[in-house]
Amino acid sequence: MNMALTNLQKIQEAVERRPGEIDALKKNGQKVLGWIGYTLPEEIIHAAGIIPVRLGRGGDDRLVEIGSRYISTQNCVFIRATAGLFAENSDPYVQKSDGVAFDTTCMQVYRLGEVTKYYFRKKTFFLGVPRCFQTPQARQYFLMELEEFTLRLEEFSGKKIESHALAASIGLYNEIREAIKALYMHAAHDNPPVITWHEIYGVVHAGYYLDRQEYLALLKDLLHEIEELRDAGVVGKASKRVRILLSGSVIAPGDTKLIDIITGLNGNIIADDLWSGLDPYIGIDIREPTLKGIADAYMDRLLPPAIPHLDQSTDNRLHNLKDAVKESSADGVIYHSLRYCDSVTFKGLEMKEFLSHEKIPFLEIHTEYAKSDIEAIRTRSEAFIEMVKFRKQAGGRI
Amino acid sequence: MRCFDVGTNNPQGIYAGVDIGSLTTKSVIMKGGKVIGSSILHTGIQPEESGTEVLRMALDSISLSQTDLRYTIATGYGRISARYADDTATEITCHTKGVYHYNPSARTIIDMGGQDCKVIRVDESGNVSDFIMNDKCAAGTGRFLEVIASAFKVGLDELGPMALEGTECVPISSTCTVFAESEVISLLARGEKPENILRGIHNAISNRIAGMAFRVGVEKDIFFSGGVAKNAGMKSALEGVFHESILIPGFDPQLMGALGAAVLAGNLGSGE
Repeated sequence: MNMALTNLQKIQEAVERRPGEIDALKKNGQKVLGWIGYTLPEEIIHAAGIIPVRLGRGGDDRLVEIGSRYISTQNCVFIRATAGLFAENSDPYVQKSDGVAFDTTCMQVYRLGEVTKYYFRKKTFFLGVPRCFQTPQARQYFLMELEEFTLRLEEFSGKKIESHALAASIGLYNEIREAIKALYMHAAHDNPPVITWHEIYGVVHAGYYLDRQEYLALLKDLLHEIEELRDAGVVGKASKRVRILLSGSVIAPGDTKLIDIITGLNGNIIADDLWSGLDPYIGIDIREPTLKGIADAYMDRLLPPAIPHLDQSTDNRLHNLKDAVKESSADGVIYHSLRYCDSVTFKGLEMKEFLSHEKIPFLEIHTEYAKSDIEAIRTRSEAFIEMVKFRKQAGGRI
Repeated sequence: MRCFDVGTNNPQGIYAGVDIGSLTTKSVIMKGGKVIGSSILHTGIQPEESGTEVLRMALDSISLSQTDLRYTIATGYGRISARYADDTATEITCHTKGVYHYNPSARTIIDMGGQDCKVIRVDESGNVSDFIMNDKCAAGTGRFLEVIASAFKVGLDELGPMALEGTECVPISSTCTVFAESEVISLLARGEKPENILRGIHNAISNRIAGMAFRVGVEKDIFFSGGVAKNAGMKSALEGVFHESILIPGFDPQLMGALGAAVLAGNLGSGE
């Protein structure tokens, strides 16, 4: 993390302090619930007085090999690496988790949950997610699942979730979502940039672990600092580098391969369309502070890649990507597909064709955590950046 | 050495392109829009040394030295360690520039080199409009064909002519280099005619290339570059799969990357 911004340093320090803080809270009887998934409302965990921690690591091929002893090699490397994380049990947040929750948006995540329960004897929670978010029956089903999930959380924490606590947690998370969106706006619009997309991505991942009240306060301070610096003109030179929007499979904490390659080639990542980035923070409008309000809002938001959208003409993922490109003035999209992340990989060609109608350059990078393809990815990424540069120089529509 | 007029691209000065591939390293020297020197050698274990040496060889062949060069571009996998070059560009860009300068009608390029193969779409201005590369698989590369040649105990340059003599196309179920080699040995043991097996291998690779090409689309004219383009059997197999004429650039197809790098050096070095 670049420490030019004082509040980035503070966030980094808070992350370093966090394992010790959690130990102290656990001694006072507070429970920790790790979670992995896409459609799992963290608001409810928080309202139950449980410490939520989003788990999962990427980028480590050694963990993939360890995880592959427990889960099929035809699961994506993020799932296998995270299985390895549980097997190795050296990650502080895995160690401190009294239980782990999984939702069934991605069936590979669900399998990971089963493996976690069976091999690693973790207390597990599963939240059922409908396969088609758009129907009234799906909303009803998801509400019932949330009610069941809530009962299990209350049993786990020994504390009933009061309606005022739920309302307070929803309010807190709404503010966090707004702050994250505001940060991303800076990455997309400020040129010269005060904060880079890569720094914001680190801030998002810091939020996986920090106390959510403290996190919001840090986000607000960071936003304030960015605005002060920008307004005072205390920024670097404007960048003319090719502006890249990153989309596709999860790029989990620790997985810096593609990001390092793109930035090393003077590509300028300015936005993302990732479930490990901005996507969980957009399109959520909780209209009433109840489980029904949460259920409806989560069914209405941007669809995760693993969920089918049967009415293809209204698939908001494609339109969201197109809008994100326009909004951020990106010159092109690099679509990151992890091997065996089939729901993302299968979408690649459709995304490409959809964007080609908008004359938006698109490159798919299909990879895993092994380092053997670094040079091949570098060549593809560099050629893509060259292609976009030549087209810009030629005055072609990007 | 033939001299080629590259049309409107006629920068003053002498420019070089160096293409450091996994199997061979190539260099092309250009002056006044014409190729005045070139060289090819096997890539050693030190790519930088190979690049330096091939450039020296190309310059020696026309009694010049590196100080005579106005601008040099390195490409290929060894470009990341090329201190002798002023700049670098990817082989995708360079193959496109190289093929287009001799063949402005090129809209699709199939490039098959030592360790990768790619399909490149070219726009009317000679810029890359889309591309795809093979993904962690040696099928359709020079390395793959070397392994197959070794299994048949023949020279690499004999594979194409042998495949053209095949009267039947033996189905090959795998284009994985290791499994294909095993399959070839099994087929030979079963008494299949080597020419028919080779025809099957070339066909299997061509089908794989067609699968890649599907993702970027194909438009005429289709050109075939890279060292494997010297294999007439592969050209024929590609034509069979694409149902189109596959054209070979009007200059050594193995030198297209180095040529494109020299063309680009001319553009960049002369400020065009």
